[in-house]
Amino acid sequence: MLSEINKDRRTLKSGFRPDRTLWLPLGVVLGLLVFFSFTSGTFATVRNFTIISAQASTLLIVCTGATFVVLMGSIDLSVGAIVLLVGAVCVKVENGTGMGGSIVLVGVVLGAFLGLCNGVIFAHGMVPSFVVTLGTLSIFSGLALQILQGRAITFNSDALDAIAIGEWLPPLQNIALCAIIVWGAGVLIAQHTRFGRYTYLIGGGEPVARNSGIPVRRYKVYAFILSGLVAGFGGVLAVARLGAAGPTLGQDLLLNSLAAIVVGGTSLSGGVGGPDRTLLGVLIITILDNGLNLLGVSSYPQLVIKGSVVIAAVLISQNRREILLIK
Amino acid sequence: MERGVTDQPPPPLLAISGLTKRFGPSTVLDNVSFAIPYNKVVGLVGENGAGKSTLLNLISGMLRQDSGEMFLHGKKYEPNGYKAACQLGIGRAFQEQALILNVPVYENLMLGHEERFLLAGVFLNRKAMIATAERMIREAGIDVDVRRAVGDYDVSRRQAIEIVRACLVPFYLTGVEHPVILLDEPTSALAKDHEAAFSRMVDRVKAAGAVLFVSHRLSEVLALCDLIHVLKDGRLVATVAASETNEIGLHGLMVGRERVSDYYHETSQGEVGQNPAFLEVRALSRPGMYRDVSFDIKRGEIVGMGGLLGSGKSALAKGIVGLEPPVSGTVKLVGQVASKPEIRRLIGEGIAYVPPERLTEGLIAQFRLPWNVSMASGYDLFSTRWGRWLAAKEEAVAAEYIEKLSIKSGTVRITCDQLSGGNQQKVILARWLCRNPKLLVLDNPTRGIDVGAKEEIYHLIRSLTEGGMSVLLITDELLELIGLSNRIIVMQFGEVVAELAAPAEAKPSEHDVVALMLPSTKNSAEHSRN
Repeated sequence: MLSEINKDRRTLKSGFRPDRTLWLPLGVVLGLLVFFSFTSGTFATVRNFTIISAQASTLLIVCTGATFVVLMGSIDLSVGAIVLLVGAVCVKVENGTGMGGSIVLVGVVLGAFLGLCNGVIFAHGMVPSFVVTLGTLSIFSGLALQILQGRAITFNSDALDAIAIGEWLPPLQNIALCAIIVWGAGVLIAQHTRFGRYTYLIGGGEPVARNSGIPVRRYKVYAFILSGLVAGFGGVLAVARLGAAGPTLGQDLLLNSLAAIVVGGTSLSGGVGGPDRTLLGVLIITILDNGLNLLGVSSYPQLVIKGSVVIAAVLISQNRREILLIK
Repeated sequence: MERGVTDQPPPPLLAISGLTKRFGPSTVLDNVSFAIPYNKVVGLVGENGAGKSTLLNLISGMLRQDSGEMFLHGKKYEPNGYKAACQLGIGRAFQEQALILNVPVYENLMLGHEERFLLAGVFLNRKAMIATAERMIREAGIDVDVRRAVGDYDVSRRQAIEIVRACLVPFYLTGVEHPVILLDEPTSALAKDHEAAFSRMVDRVKAAGAVLFVSHRLSEVLALCDLIHVLKDGRLVATVAASETNEIGLHGLMVGRERVSDYYHETSQGEVGQNPAFLEVRALSRPGMYRDVSFDIKRGEIVGMGGLLGSGKSALAKGIVGLEPPVSGTVKLVGQVASKPEIRRLIGEGIAYVPPERLTEGLIAQFRLPWNVSMASGYDLFSTRWGRWLAAKEEAVAAEYIEKLSIKSGTVRITCDQLSGGNQQKVILARWLCRNPKLLVLDNPTRGIDVGAKEEIYHLIRSLTEGGMSVLLITDELLELIGLSNRIIVMQFGEVVAELAAPAEAKPSEHDVVALMLPSTKNSAEHSRN
């Protein structure tokens, strides 16, 4: 009886385990801030932070959606291609109709539709999400490049300029504001809705979720729709910020989005992490890009450094128990 | 080692001595010692979880014992992995068939021994591999083209290939003179026309070395073996000569416990004679799993469902709750319409399902306790119509059931991997009890949990039925089946073969129930041909 009580006390204590997956990315962000502040004179300026926040915006928006897919134990490789296709279509439509701000709606609906395609093929066709989104990555990019004829197409719209680079809350550009709102909504959805909870449950133990009557397949489709929808929004904002849609739009998103999600602490095996963590990952990737640029490091070594940071971050933050879980 | 001492008997082919293996807090094998003599077929029997597979894993080098040692031909035997065990003459036919389906038969037969067929040290000499494989298949006398993929053949032929590989590799590839071949449930997937090949293989091995035969089919064990070792709860409880016992006697040794009526709270087992039916199952069928199953469960009744491994009882449970829906037949809960089962509708109507594998199907151990409790009620109790999650209510309900079921967690702020098996099982029960269901479908609810927790769960089941809940109890534990049930349904090969009353004052004996679970020889031949 006494040993039973002691055992309980032990479990009670270990109920609060220090969470390496949270403080490590946080430490890296702070470390990078300090490092670049000392090494680059222009890094720690209001102007540069405005630039960083704008640079981080598209990535943060796209990652917020894609995090749900990863959290569910799947992967969405097509977010970059959705940004490109939505961007291309929106520029074309804008130039054709001049519909202004409501083009955002077109982008969001188109993105959601593309996500729906991913989700239906994945969940109902029983094709691994890696394969599905690898395929649609190629399809969406191909369609977009066809629309653009391989060239960058510019447009002029005061409404879109206002949405993207206006400053309702100076010195923050509106695109950064939008990103923060999207991210905040993502965090709320993950933590305070049925959809969010089911996403965790499916990622943590799909057979268990199914045995509890959770409509697993339907929620898988929902997650892909959300990922596409948010990527679509990101696509519109990206072209609005750039004033044009070109063939390279969204190209770096494929790697950066996965890197940011994983570095932030969302496990590729699902069930662990969340959009709240992804913010840290996005900051790490963006600050690294920005800081290395300011230091004059050329783009090829930058790739090497970025890749190493991603691997190192994940390597250190995992503990042995979790390694066993990775498929 | 004193060699050349003549008055000592020669050492047995394989001797194991004091083997102990623990997984975490549970001791799976406890100081097991026995010998496998030359030129004998030795049987190994025991209930699920008695430690048979662990013992085979130790012998075949796939696990390392915590203490104890093994001797092969009198020499200390410490295999480092399955491959090393193979080189020393151990072969194993795996219950779950360790064959690669999309690879040709000959490559499967040579799996792990490819280095014997290298040309110039790099290239595989496929011709030689195929020739060797053909000689093996010819000796076994089965109708298989070694160039075709294993997946092209039916389960029975695959099993034959698995057996041939285990038995003949020592003779054709490793060249071991006295092999020890471990056959783990080798006949469960084997059709009638491959039985001759099987006994040829066993005879061949027996002539040179020895066979360790593990099977649930006690009649086969008795027919095939010279000597039978009986494991129970990780201990060797008996070693008997096959000629000195029978199926009932063997089963008695495997179970070997006295049924204590108090343990199952039999005195509080109620009468259900006049109660209305809470569940009506009609003509449920799923080809290859179960056929034309019909029965009722009354209000407050515990219906136990027994049967050997592969009798289809677990598949039937998944069918009734609508997880793996049957092809035809209906299920009707009281006050509802009879229809094809569908899990979400049935949960809404008041069904609850506790699966047999706690950690892979039952709960997500790395998640917090309340998350595991709320899981089945996310769509109604714990979220609003617009999908907002009601976290406070979730915590309150979890806390309520920690109290009610005395789950030893102390707090809701705990992840389920910190709980013992029994408490984890209570968490799964809490998930359903908070919905106040009409019918609990429990598949092996006490598997792998300690005695104290078992009793608590038995007590809980009793008090729930007193409150009017009905229970369908699928279990591999005979005593639990008899002790808890008001009525027992016995399945064989996917069909209900018997139904017997088990009132508190006249519980059927274990012998009676086992006799109903074991197929008569005529029956089994007929079914294995199908």
